[in-house]
Amino acid sequence: MADAAAVTAAVDAPRRRLASAAVYLRTMLVFVLLWWALAAWTANPALLPTPRAVAEALVELIGDREVFMHAGISLGRMLIALVVACALAVPLGLLMGTSPLLDAIIDPTVEMLRPISGIAWIPLALFIFGIGNALPLFIMTYAAFFPILLGTIAGVRQVDRRLVDAARTMGVPQRTILTRVVVPAALPALLVALRLGVASAWTAVVAAELIGAPSGLGYAVEWYRELLMTPQVMVFIGVIGLLGYACDRAVREVAARYTPWAAETRAMA
Amino acid sequence: MATSNPRTPLPSRIVMAAIDMSVSGDLPLGIATSLGRVFAGFAFAAAIAVPLGLAMGAARAVERNVDPLIETFRPIAAIAILPLAILWLGTGTAAAVLIVAYAAFFPIVVNTLAGAKRIPPTLLRAAATMGLSRFTTIRTIIVPGALPAIGVGLRIGMGVAWTAIVAAELAVGAKAGGGGSGGIGQMMFIFYAYSIELNRIIVCMIAVGLVALLLDRGIRTGMRLLMPWGVA
Repeated sequence: MADAAAVTAAVDAPRRRLASAAVYLRTMLVFVLLWWALAAWTANPALLPTPRAVAEALVELIGDREVFMHAGISLGRMLIALVVACALAVPLGLLMGTSPLLDAIIDPTVEMLRPISGIAWIPLALFIFGIGNALPLFIMTYAAFFPILLGTIAGVRQVDRRLVDAARTMGVPQRTILTRVVVPAALPALLVALRLGVASAWTAVVAAELIGAPSGLGYAVEWYRELLMTPQVMVFIGVIGLLGYACDRAVREVAARYTPWAAETRAMA
Repeated sequence: MATSNPRTPLPSRIVMAAIDMSVSGDLPLGIATSLGRVFAGFAFAAAIAVPLGLAMGAARAVERNVDPLIETFRPIAAIAILPLAILWLGTGTAAAVLIVAYAAFFPIVVNTLAGAKRIPPTLLRAAATMGLSRFTTIRTIIVPGALPAIGVGLRIGMGVAWTAIVAAELAVGAKAGGGGSGGIGQMMFIFYAYSIELNRIIVCMIAVGLVALLLDRGIRTGMRLLMPWGVA
């Protein structure tokens, strides 16, 4: 019975995917038509360009590689910021999750800083770093740090005590317990944390680049707004959304691949 | 040492700056302006997102047709549409409210939908068997069942809204050449750009953090009082 149902589901899967793609296209088509009508009614290309104008801007920006340049810069910054944030937050989270003493010492500072959003650091960071690469990197690292840290701590705490006790009974040294028992068991929670970190870093990069960077997607959006080239503004906004989605998707794929057993992974899918 | 420079931040100077700014009324006014915008935008977002989420949860057809739109726009950060908001609505309160509403909309609608879909199907079947109308089903089963999830959505939405208003005011302050309309974010930018006063910037940052904390705690407490059965 169950097998038959599974087979039917597997056979139906492509068809269902096709159907949902069709629904997606239908909805977006309605959206584009409404947009077109509104643009025609406003008749002010600087205020609301037609979808056609935006499409032409997109082709043009792809043609002269400008989209790729800014997207590459923003993505590169995010990648560096994520690596730095993970390098700081994951070990710290492992320590805080395993040692109540360290947790008691560090947690008050974390709880004090956490409500101050990365964006609120922008003026001070502008003063310290000036306009350039360091500012968006700092803001993104800061924004990604807290979700990753809290996720790591929570992940470590929910590791089954019995696994750790069993390893200890068998005489496994403390460090090996950490790398071979705690980290694999906490991995699904770590990936959820990484996903939240990516989302918050990507939001922060746009804000940071908008205000204080000479390049990147956020900068490009603001640059074209000042030139009143609204189609280009919309292209870059679209690219920001698309890449944000792609990054999120990438983390989910990693989770599905490396931690397929975990409830967290299934909840994400 | 650099500490002799009156601009170097020191805890004592930050406290003095905080007292000074509170007594002069600048800080409370800035916070009040920003909070007013947050509440306005948040109210718009909730007024659209909660009914929409419930409708999507109650009717499969609505969900199928509206969901692509939401999933398409959700990854676009509110700050990214700020340039468009400035273009359409200028650098005043209207643009800020739009940004806040946009930012808060997505967490609220997504959580409301999730809450409405998590209602045990047996309850819905029982309602259908007993001949309840669609409207009564929504009012007596779906809304109460989804309420804790709506509460979570509102709480997350409020957090995002507060972050967004600070970002929006900062960016408006940065790009409108000071001709904006107040709020704590803009205040910070003025302290950075026109009168380099690091102590005051830090006071503003602390204020931003405190307000975020109080908003979060306030909604949490409110939810606990309103629905003790919830798991928010």
